[in-house]
Amino acid sequence: MQLVFKLIPQLIAWTVMVLLLLRGMPGRRGAVLISAVTGFSLGVAGYLLLSRLFPVTLPLGIIRSAVGGSFFLLWSVAVAALYRSTVRDFPLLRVERLVGTIYCAWGAPLLTGMVAGGIGASGLPRLDNSVLQLLAPLLLLLAGALLVLGARSAEQRLTSSLGVTPSAFLAALVALLLFSSSSSILLDLFAPLSMKVMKGTHDFVHQFMESILIPDHVFIRSAIWGYIGFLFGKEVGFWGGMVIWFTPALLIALAIRLEPLPSVAHIRQGAQRRRLLADAIRTKQYRLVIPALALVALAAAAYQSSFPNVEYWDPKPLAVTATPAGEIFIPRKGEVELEDGRLHKYLYKQGGKEVRFFVLLTPAGKLTVDLDACAICKPDGYGQSEGMVLCYYCKTLIPLDTVGKPGGCNPVPVPFTERGDGVHLDALTLVNSWSRTVQSTTSSKGGK
Amino acid sequence: MASTIIETAGLTRSYGDICALKPLELSVPEGEWLSVMGHSGSGKSTLLNLVGGLDRPTAGVLKVGGEDLLGRDEDGLARFRREFVGIIFQQHHLVPYLTALENVMLAQYFHSVPDEAEARFALERVGLGHRLKNRPGELSGGEQQRVCIARAIINSPKLLLGDEPTGNLDHKSTTMVLELLRELRAEERFTIIMVTHNQEVAAWGDRTIYLDDGVLVREERKTG
Amino acid sequence: MNRLLRVLWGILSSRALPPLVLGFFLLLYIGIAFFFDETLIMLMAITRRIPLLAALLALLPLNGVCRMILEAGRYLKRRQALSGAVVPPELYDETLLLSAPGGFSQLEGRLSAQGYATRGSGHHLAAWQGVTLFPARLLYLAGMFCLFAGILISLVSRGVSRQAVVEGAPFPTAAGNGGMVEKIIFEKAAGPILARNLFIKVADSGMGEGEQTFRLYPPALFRGAFVYPRYLGISLAYRFFAPDQGGVVENRAVLPLYPPGKEASTVIAGTPYRLTLSLAKPEDGSDPYMTGKTLFLFKLLKGDELVLTGSVPGGGEFVRDGYRLAIPDARRMVITDFVVDYGVLLIWGAGLLFAAAFILWLPVRIFFPLREMLFRSQGELLQACSRAEGGGRRHAGVFHEALDLLELSKSGVKAEE
Ligand SMILES: Nc1ncnc2c1ncn2[C@@H]1O[C@H](COP(=O)(O)OP(=O)(O)O)[C@@H](O)[C@H]1O
Ligand SMILES: [Mg+2]
Repeated sequence: MQLVFKLIPQLIAWTVMVLLLLRGMPGRRGAVLISAVTGFSLGVAGYLLLSRLFPVTLPLGIIRSAVGGSFFLLWSVAVAALYRSTVRDFPLLRVERLVGTIYCAWGAPLLTGMVAGGIGASGLPRLDNSVLQLLAPLLLLLAGALLVLGARSAEQRLTSSLGVTPSAFLAALVALLLFSSSSSILLDLFAPLSMKVMKGTHDFVHQFMESILIPDHVFIRSAIWGYIGFLFGKEVGFWGGMVIWFTPALLIALAIRLEPLPSVAHIRQGAQRRRLLADAIRTKQYRLVIPALALVALAAAAYQSSFPNVEYWDPKPLAVTATPAGEIFIPRKGEVELEDGRLHKYLYKQGGKEVRFFVLLTPAGKLTVDLDACAICKPDGYGQSEGMVLCYYCKTLIPLDTVGKPGGCNPVPVPFTERGDGVHLDALTLVNSWSRTVQSTTSSKGGK
Repeated sequence: MASTIIETAGLTRSYGDICALKPLELSVPEGEWLSVMGHSGSGKSTLLNLVGGLDRPTAGVLKVGGEDLLGRDEDGLARFRREFVGIIFQQHHLVPYLTALENVMLAQYFHSVPDEAEARFALERVGLGHRLKNRPGELSGGEQQRVCIARAIINSPKLLLGDEPTGNLDHKSTTMVLELLRELRAEERFTIIMVTHNQEVAAWGDRTIYLDDGVLVREERKTG
Repeated sequence: MNRLLRVLWGILSSRALPPLVLGFFLLLYIGIAFFFDETLIMLMAITRRIPLLAALLALLPLNGVCRMILEAGRYLKRRQALSGAVVPPELYDETLLLSAPGGFSQLEGRLSAQGYATRGSGHHLAAWQGVTLFPARLLYLAGMFCLFAGILISLVSRGVSRQAVVEGAPFPTAAGNGGMVEKIIFEKAAGPILARNLFIKVADSGMGEGEQTFRLYPPALFRGAFVYPRYLGISLAYRFFAPDQGGVVENRAVLPLYPPGKEASTVIAGTPYRLTLSLAKPEDGSDPYMTGKTLFLFKLLKGDELVLTGSVPGGGEFVRDGYRLAIPDARRMVITDFVVDYGVLLIWGAGLLFAAAFILWLPVRIFFPLREMLFRSQGELLQACSRAEGGGRRHAGVFHEALDLLELSKSGVKAEE
């Protein structure tokens, strides 16, 4: 039941995508319908197969790259569209030509279907019951195919004035893909984008100020520095991410708005001229519907990404104390089963400092002790989902096999000794390691 | 031989028991100026409203521009009124707080999009180039009616309907308005159907029909 | 050859070029971001190293120049067309040929009644209204040129050397012949942007430079390098004696100790001791760097072990448990970058040009954008062109009206025949 609930948004998105594909490539319904169903099935099957044969990060990575790549394509098409409607002799990118071709009629639905199918399959839970395990994907396939038919009849009922420009068509498709991928925190692209934007803006502003020799914050009035400081903060990641997220669809809408009206100078009757202009304006207004839809889907995706409704295994940290000799001991068995493959979090307090760390049995069968923080993000900690842990701050996924190795956003490993009874670690090393990590990641970035 | 723009057969309009228009046969060739006369309450306005798409007949056939008006839905009828018909009433029905120019541009807006230069030109054609920025209250009756003419022809209608357009005007203004209509018709070649009480006014038309109690009783063709 | 040149010119002056080049660099940036943390620095480094990338970047300023030439040419052609020269139709929004007689006097009257300026001869009529956006556009393109040329020059030629400028010491130069730094003045400023100001007064070096004062912004040039003050600090001399050490250690240290409270440490050479210093915040809220009255808080460490904490005023001494620490001399110091980079000038110039372009563009675009139309008879035919840099719908109405009028006059002429 919960499974159905979880997949509903994705299936709706899929239906709208098919609807768009049909509307965007009129006259090729058969090709669109067949390749959409084929693509969706391939996506589901491909995801399940790859996730059996390889670590689940592989198919997830493929989906993320595909969606990310499509977003980049959208950006280029949006810029080109804007140039085309504002510059008369702009020779670049005649995408429209491609959209009319038979390749597009087969290829676009196929690719879209594969990605959508993959995303759908990634939302299927792992079930213990083997019958259900087989049944769930089949149900998903059935739903996908039925919805294609549903989209077909819905499209026929839609008013014929609702036109689609090729760029708007792409915007809506990509937005819907982003929307359905954002329903899973493992596939979400908005959070990593914000993260990159934050880093990029910081680098860029810093470099820029140094390049044009702007004095340091010591000399600048603090109110002014406040504005500059904003560019170094966390918010800039979110807002910058929003800008990058929405701009292509907005550019496409703007391109449609700015498209020049047809020349009517050759017509010698005013009413007829105005009639033609009014028709052109009305067509333009209808064409704005699809980019508006894309904006809504993008907003929904950003919302889902910011407030994910996924449950993670994230136990409340157990308080631990050190012996007078400064040793912390965590028993192998006892209150918690240390070697059950799950994340076990602990909290150690010393002199006003609180250190969070966790113990985990990796798939390789080794215990590892790590800080509940990484070397590059704010110490928001980690949650565990299937086969990986996730940094809450930057939403990076870390496969369980690599937990315990240092670097990047991996949890910072802590040296420990493993004995028969459990895990022993040095309290001072732990505290120092935490202080070092947290100091470097939370200290204000401004002023350099 | 010009083609027929209006063709009716058994055209009927009744309000409950009152039959405002008895089955009526009428044919108007394109480009004609038809005058409609009759006593008050004889169904003149009813006929005009039916032809202009403002009202629907109770029964009968009504073909305008070769197409059966009854076959159109509300949207289609609205489009017909917008693009095919211009109407001038006895009362001017201008928006009192808009200028003459804006009143004409409003008609453009309802038709498609406003175009100031064209509206200005239309007012110049009716001899109001110097009163563009005046509100209806600042214009004489004749001038108001000329604004109405500019408004009626701005969308290049095929059919110009007048329901006693000169009813409120003095003799001089009446002549001016009629003169103007004649000139415009020569340029734009639209068809005029004008309801009037006044024999003299009716005489400007190519043909006059007489209604009595909803029945076409007589018709007179201008000779010479 | 000619054809090749034309293609090359087409590419270089194309409006498609900047988005393509910038898109390419963006892609490169994204690509680098997968592998390196310091993405921007990496991107800059490889652009500097790989001539092909630098050449690609050089396309941007080149494009700016080409566009300037191209658009200036178009502008001139349009101007000539106003006075009756041949009208190139591709430079206008709408162009059409119609068969109508010449003789524009009636039309000219109508257009000027509508607020258009007109100019005409027997066979042509030009009418226009508003001010052209071309100067703003030219400024913008010049800004583009300066920006990207500046970035390019900055990328490939920037050289930075970081030096400590110390009061009472010679101004640091490679040859060692800088004048004496007479005073470093750090004071509150009343400007809208700067809260504090910094002046470095340097005495005559004997190199014919005379007395010089370096200020914060815009940074002054010194022997071809911009003097770019980065951080403040103190250059101090200390005398240290520890009971477990043989003798007194005397040394100098240059420490970034500003603002008060900021710690910096120095290893006391020849001993296992380390000194961590910071400036105390005076209770009256004054700035020790401005007043020159310094009080140093210190921590003395031996290895990781904290031995002693205390405070010494500049010029004073601290004595406890056999330890002695004196700071006989503390001077203001500014860590300064000497930046050899003329690209900066271009980038500043670009900023000014962009600002000027915007200030020019906005009111013109909103209040009186250029709208123009042209009529020119060519034998039996009449060529009519129209163009608007804003307010196009209204202008198009006037243009269409004018065409209608020409058509009417044609039928009038026919009727007379
Ligand atoms: N809306 C209506 N409801 C009822 N009766 C109406 C309506 N409109 C017109 N009539 C009646 O129809 C008849 C014809 O009216 P009309 O066409 O306005 O006459 P005319 O314009 O020739 O004076 C009159 O008897 C009038 O009372
Ligand atoms: Mg009446």
